[in-house]
Amino acid sequence: MTQRFSIGIDLGTTNCVLAYSDLQVESANVRLLKLTQFVAPSQTEAREGLPSFLYIPSDPESQSGAFDIPDHASYPTVNGAYARDVSAEQPDRTIAAAKSWLCHAGVDRHAAILPWGSGDEVTKFSPVMASRLLLRQMVDAWDTRYPEHPLSGQMVTLTVPASFDMAARELTREAAVGAGLPKDFILLEEPVAAVYHWLEKSGDGWRKRAKEGDHLLVCDVGGGTTDLTLVRVEQEQGELTLRRLAVGNHLLVGGDNMDLALAHFVTQRFMEKGVKLNPWQSISLWHSCRRAKESLLAVDGRETETISVLGRGSRLIGGTVSVEVSRQEVQQLLVDGFFPMCSSDAQPNRAPSTGFHELGLPFEPDTAVTHHIASFLSLNQIASSSRLSLLLNGGVFKSAALQERIQQVIGSWSAEPVELLSEPEDLDFAVARGAAHYGWAKQSGGVRVRGGTARSYYVGIESSGLAVPGMPRPLQAVCVVPFGMEEGTQADVPGREVGLVVGRPAKFRFFSSAIRKEDTVGQTLRYWDDEELVETSPMELTLDVSDAPEEGFVPVRFQSHITELGILELWCKSTRDEQRWKLEFNVREEAEASGT
Amino acid sequence: MGLGTAIQAFFAALFNRQKAERIRAALSEQSKSNPIGLPDKPVEPSKPPKPAAPTRNDALTLLSTLQREARLVDLICEPLDSFSDVQIGAAAREVLRDSKKALDRMFAIAPLSDIEEGDKLSIPADHSPSKLRLVGQAQGQSGTVVHRGWKANRCELPSWQGDKSDSMILAPTEVEVS
Repeated sequence: MTQRFSIGIDLGTTNCVLAYSDLQVESANVRLLKLTQFVAPSQTEAREGLPSFLYIPSDPESQSGAFDIPDHASYPTVNGAYARDVSAEQPDRTIAAAKSWLCHAGVDRHAAILPWGSGDEVTKFSPVMASRLLLRQMVDAWDTRYPEHPLSGQMVTLTVPASFDMAARELTREAAVGAGLPKDFILLEEPVAAVYHWLEKSGDGWRKRAKEGDHLLVCDVGGGTTDLTLVRVEQEQGELTLRRLAVGNHLLVGGDNMDLALAHFVTQRFMEKGVKLNPWQSISLWHSCRRAKESLLAVDGRETETISVLGRGSRLIGGTVSVEVSRQEVQQLLVDGFFPMCSSDAQPNRAPSTGFHELGLPFEPDTAVTHHIASFLSLNQIASSSRLSLLLNGGVFKSAALQERIQQVIGSWSAEPVELLSEPEDLDFAVARGAAHYGWAKQSGGVRVRGGTARSYYVGIESSGLAVPGMPRPLQAVCVVPFGMEEGTQADVPGREVGLVVGRPAKFRFFSSAIRKEDTVGQTLRYWDDEELVETSPMELTLDVSDAPEEGFVPVRFQSHITELGILELWCKSTRDEQRWKLEFNVREEAEASGT
Repeated sequence: MGLGTAIQAFFAALFNRQKAERIRAALSEQSKSNPIGLPDKPVEPSKPPKPAAPTRNDALTLLSTLQREARLVDLICEPLDSFSDVQIGAAAREVLRDSKKALDRMFAIAPLSDIEEGDKLSIPADHSPSKLRLVGQAQGQSGTVVHRGWKANRCELPSWQGDKSDSMILAPTEVEVS
C-alpha cells in the first residue's frame, strides 16, 4: 500500500499533538487531528491536543461503563483532559509526565511503578506502557478518522527531546511500535521539528536572511522540561544548509515550576490576610495562578490582578476569597526568578536547594533558565561575535515579558542584536506540525537539517593488569560512536579484541558525552572528568551455547550502526568469521544498581 | 504523576507538620523500596465493545460543560441578596473568564458584522431579517451599526454516552472521602 499521509506526532511531557499532511501534493498542507477524549464521565470531546495524563479508574468506576466509548474497545486508563483535571485531586490515581520517567535512568522503566508512590489498590503501569497507552489513543483516533488509510501504513514521524539518550529512544520506539506505529517510523528531535516548522513558514526566505556561520538557538521550555539545541548555517557546494551542532541536557524545569512559585507567593499573601487555604483550595489556586501569570505577563497586561479562589461547595460567592497581586511583583518573581539577567559565563547552581527533587524525578536544582543557556553556549564555544538567532518554543513563551527578557539576556552577551524568529501562535503545535512537514520534505526533497548523533558514546572496559585488593580495576572508555555520526552509517571500532564468554551475560557499562566532540572511533580514554562522560543504561549480550566455539569464548570487536531512523545499534562482531551479535540496553540492571 | 504528587506533597508539607514528617519519612524510605520488574499490563481491549449509547439533549450537555469548566450553574443559582457587589464581582470574574474559554472552544464566537459599531453600513435590498435588524426608519439605503451581532463559527459539543437515567444530571455530588 502506498503512503498517503505524512503524520507528525508530538508525544509531549504535558500535551500530545498529532499533525498531518497529504504526501501527494506540491506544497505541504499541515493540519491538526482533533483527538477524542473523555472530559467527564460519559462525556467525550474532540480537542486539538491530548493532555499527557492517564487516570486509572477504580473498579466500580470502570464497571459502571462511564468510561466506555460506544462501539469501541475500552482502555485500561482514561487518558487526556479528564485525567488532567482530576490529577491534582487524585494524584494517587493519575500518571503525569510519563515521558520524563522514560528518560529517568534511576528507575526500571519496564516496571509497573506509576503512579509513583500510590498504594497497592491502584493498578500500576510502567513508564513505557504509559507512553504506549497515550500513543495508542492517538493511533485509534487516526484510524477512526481515516479508516481507509490506517496509521500503520503511513509515513509517521515521532518527536523526542533532543536530550533523550539512546536508551530512552529505544524505549520510546518500543512503546510506539507496541501502540501500532509502523516499524519504520522516524524519530525526530523536538527542537529540530520546531526548526522545520519555521522553515515551512518562512519558505525560501531564510536563505536571504541567513549567512554562513550564523547560529540558531532553539530554546524549548515546555510544562515540565527545558531543551536547548544549537543549529549552524553552513555552506555546501554553494548551497546554504543547516546543521544541528549540539543539544543540551534534559532539564526538568518548566512552566509548571513558575505556576507553583506564583502559587506559593500568593499563599503567603493569603496567610498575611489570615486566610488559610485547605488542600483543595491550594489546587484551585494553582490553576488561578496559571491564568493570572499569562495575563500579568502579557504585553498590555493589567497593572494588578485579583487572584480568587472560589468556594468549594455550591455556595460559590460566599466562599470566594481573593487577594491582589501587582504586575511588578509577578514580573520580579517569575521573570527575574526564572530568566535572571546574568553574564555569559554564568553557571547553573548544582547544589540542591530544597528537598523537592528527591520526590521521584530529578528536578533541576537551579531553575534559572538563563544560567543553563549561558553554560550551554559557552560549552559550545559560541563567541559573542557570531550572529545568533533565537527560536522559542513551548507555551511558557506566550507571555511577552518572558520572550523579551530572554532576547535581552542573550543580546547582552552578543555584539550583534539577537533576532527572534518564532511567532506567538506557533508555540503549542510547532513540534507536531514540523514533524509532519519533515515527513513531507523527506519525500519531496525540501531543506533538511543535518545532524547525526548529538553525543558521542563509549563502552566501558575494565583494563587488565595487576588487581589491587579492594580496588576496582581501572575503567577505560572506548569511543564507539563519534559525535555527529550520520544516520544510516556504520563504523567498525578498531583496537583491542574483547573475549565474550559463552552462556553468561556479557555486560558493558555505557557512557555518553555531549562535550567531547573531537573523539574518534576506537579512541580510548583512561581518564575523564565526571562532567564529561555521563553513564547511561548498560548494554548486555548473552551468547547461546550453539554459537560457541570449543574454547568457551569468542573474540569480538565492536561495530556501531546508527540506523536511518536514528536508533543506535551496537554489535559484537567475531574476529574469526562473519558472525555478529547485537547488544541490548539493559534498563533494569541499572535501576537495581542505583537502588542499592 | 511525579509532579502531581510533588505538588500535593509540597502543599501538605507547607500546611501540616505531621504530613511534613511523613513525607520526610517516605523520602528516606524510597531508596530502599525500589520496585522490581513487574510484567507490563496488557494494553489490548479487555471488554467487548459497548453498544451505542442513548442520546440526550445537547442543551443539558452544554449546561453541564459550563458548570464543570466554569461553575456557571453555581453562580446563577446562588441567592445574591446577602453579598456585596465586590464579593459578587470577584467570583463572577473567574466564572465569566472560564465560561468564555469554554464557549470559544465549542462555538468559536465572533462578531457577525465586520463593520465597527458607529460606522456606516449600506443595506442590501434583499437583506435577511436574521442577519440585519433595522431600527428606526425601515426604508433607508444605509445606516449606522449599533450592535455588530454575533455568530458561532462552529458547534462542537462534547458527546454524551451515559445511561438514560443519568441524562438530567448537570453535576455530580462531590464527596470528600475521609
